[in-house]
Amino acid sequence: MRVLARLDAAFNALYGWRWNPLYHSGALVVTCFAVLLATGLYLLLFYRTGAPYASVAAIDAQWWGGRWIRGLHRYVSDLALLAAVVHGFRMFAQRRSWGPRALAWVSGVVLLGIFFVCGWTGYVMVWDAHGQLLAAEGARLLDALPVFSEPLGRAFTGEEPLPGAFFFMNLFAHIALPIGIALFLWVHVSRLARVQLLPPRRLLWGTVGLFAVVAVLWPPPLGPEADLLRLPATVPTDWAYGFWLTASRGVAAGWVWAAGGAMALAALLVPVLTKPRAASAPPPSWVNPRYCTGCEQCYEDCPYEAISMVPRDDGREGTVGLVDPAKCVSCGVCAGSCAPMGVGPPGRTGRDQLAQVKEFLAGASLGPGDMVVVGCWYGATGSTEVAGARVFPIGCVGNLHTSVIEYLVRAGIGGVLVAACPPRDCQSREGVKWFHERMHNGREAELQERVDRGRIRVAYAAAGEARVLRDALAGFRAHVRLLEAAPGEHDFNVGAECEVEETAT
Amino acid sequence: MTVRRAAAALLAIAATTGIAWLSTAPTDFLGDAGAAVRLSWRVDGVPVEACRTRTEEELAALPVHMRSPLECERTLAPFALDVDLGGRPVVRDTVFPRGVRGDRPLYVFRDFPVAPGRTAVSVRFEALAADGAEGVPTRYRWNGEVQLNSGDVALVTMGEDGQLELRTPES
Ligand code: HEM
Ligand code: SF4
Ligand code: SF4
Repeated sequence: MRVLARLDAAFNALYGWRWNPLYHSGALVVTCFAVLLATGLYLLLFYRTGAPYASVAAIDAQWWGGRWIRGLHRYVSDLALLAAVVHGFRMFAQRRSWGPRALAWVSGVVLLGIFFVCGWTGYVMVWDAHGQLLAAEGARLLDALPVFSEPLGRAFTGEEPLPGAFFFMNLFAHIALPIGIALFLWVHVSRLARVQLLPPRRLLWGTVGLFAVVAVLWPPPLGPEADLLRLPATVPTDWAYGFWLTASRGVAAGWVWAAGGAMALAALLVPVLTKPRAASAPPPSWVNPRYCTGCEQCYEDCPYEAISMVPRDDGREGTVGLVDPAKCVSCGVCAGSCAPMGVGPPGRTGRDQLAQVKEFLAGASLGPGDMVVVGCWYGATGSTEVAGARVFPIGCVGNLHTSVIEYLVRAGIGGVLVAACPPRDCQSREGVKWFHERMHNGREAELQERVDRGRIRVAYAAAGEARVLRDALAGFRAHVRLLEAAPGEHDFNVGAECEVEETAT
Repeated sequence: MTVRRAAAALLAIAATTGIAWLSTAPTDFLGDAGAAVRLSWRVDGVPVEACRTRTEEELAALPVHMRSPLECERTLAPFALDVDLGGRPVVRDTVFPRGVRGDRPLYVFRDFPVAPGRTAVSVRFEALAADGAEGVPTRYRWNGEVQLNSGDVALVTMGEDGQLELRTPES
């Protein structure tokens, strides 16, 4: 977690949070997949299973096309694996690996596995010394399984020429596996609303462009042709897909399977191992039908499509929101979307937040010169105080009901700084996005017109960016000093003004 | 600002070229191996029948037309594999026929690392059965010297004539 926060902060400083590639690691894998399909289609035009090496050599001889397209195909496949590992690690470090997210987690592990095997077959296609190594090692490992009546490994001893069917089967696998990738990608994101499959354009084209330039300037060398009666010596090796080769070759196949199987099992078991105990697991959201007016806002906003609208059964007209606890990750985004404060995980609804902020203010003697930081649990805020400002903690700014901000401002606090994570880093996926819309674009439940905007500021600061937050606070404090002291209201009822009817019928 | 931009561009270029380099990193797989003698062949095997006399009760339990006094199982004999390299024994092993019932052909394929140069090779592959079935070869041998350059593989395999023979990269 620490490592990730540090890296994120460094990348934010360099590229800005909008284009931080670490935030878009999943989408970058999809980008790679698209590039792989396009370049792969081109390469397929020239590849011959009857003369694998010669046809790749012919592609390599196209200095104007095939050579760099092959390079791009190769380098981008490496990026895909790397980005997938970063993306998976992010999800792990952010504890987004259990409960309703288990489906995304497990399908992600399968996706990574398919990418890996697909790359393996891709290198075998070339049939240079690297491909020979991978093929022979693959055959050795497969022979350890009681599957084939004839040992596959013997095909690579040089006793007989390799059958053409081998290259055909390999090509078939290399083309069929991406279909599996597409399928599992669909499963992977099936629980998510408004999936961001691609990164912002600048990052997308910047990445593809940079890799294309490197592929043009530095195309991958074609290794010596496979020769079954020669031992591979010094071979240009892909360390993304072949990192294990140097280690595994001297080890009995059973142990290699055991090591690989243990890693795969551990990865697949993460949803079980990281699941918090029932007592400490955040409970799913719940709609209180008494308050729900059927406006559909929470149904729109839920990033996990966990809410549906169903007919009311209490004699009133219309529909009411219903949370499916099996899909709800307890992100709390719905709490911020409900104007009448009728939905949210227990203890985190708009109503609960109002009660908490009242208590917060009662317990702290804050005046016109004071600042309050409303900070996300996952962001930079951390403790109960930031550079002399009191912190009002909130699950995610996407949970935050705008009436809490109104309450603070109207109580006469000097300034309210909302510390949000950078939008693409949101633990709740879309919390920051919806918060922004509610603050500035009138999305329900919007910040009311009557609230003095001069006393509110939003800062984006990720977990490792305490300094960014302190700087934002210092700047805001200087700004607030120039404002006239706000007359604190003491006998107002935000609840009533914010359409919160205590006992709606 | 410009420093930050330069650093950002540099890091992006370094990361991309780093990935490209790791994608093509020259890696030595030969290590100390130098060269290798490889055995690779398949033999259909020597059928053997293992028979035992049925007891009275067993015979009684069988239908009348199946009451033969002997119960026989046809399998294939295992083979002993002996390999000497440079006059030193490196393998004394038993190779079993494949298949759950041991009735599938026998396969041998393994590599033995040797130093480049001349090496005396002696390979014996003999059925572990007292009496071979009629007309089925039960012993295979290859003795000789191989001359190998670094990275070469000398392959001892089954020739057209059903005898072990040597193949080298040059032959
Ligand atoms: C290898 C190919 C992979 C691709 C193309 C991919 C792509 C994506 C994309 C596009 C999203 C949606 C991002 C969003 O809109 O918020 C996502 C979410 C997710 N991915 Fe992956 N991913 C891959 C691998 C993995 C791996 C290896 C893991 C973990 C082991 C993983 C775990 C997850 C999880 C848990 C989510 C859900 C996030 C949430 O619920 O908040 N993914 N992935
Ligand atoms: S946002 Fe509130 S009022 Fe609207 S449907 Fe959801 S629970 Fe009901
Ligand atoms: S807490 Fe609300 S917004 Fe989040 S997943 Fe559950 S129902 Fe959806």
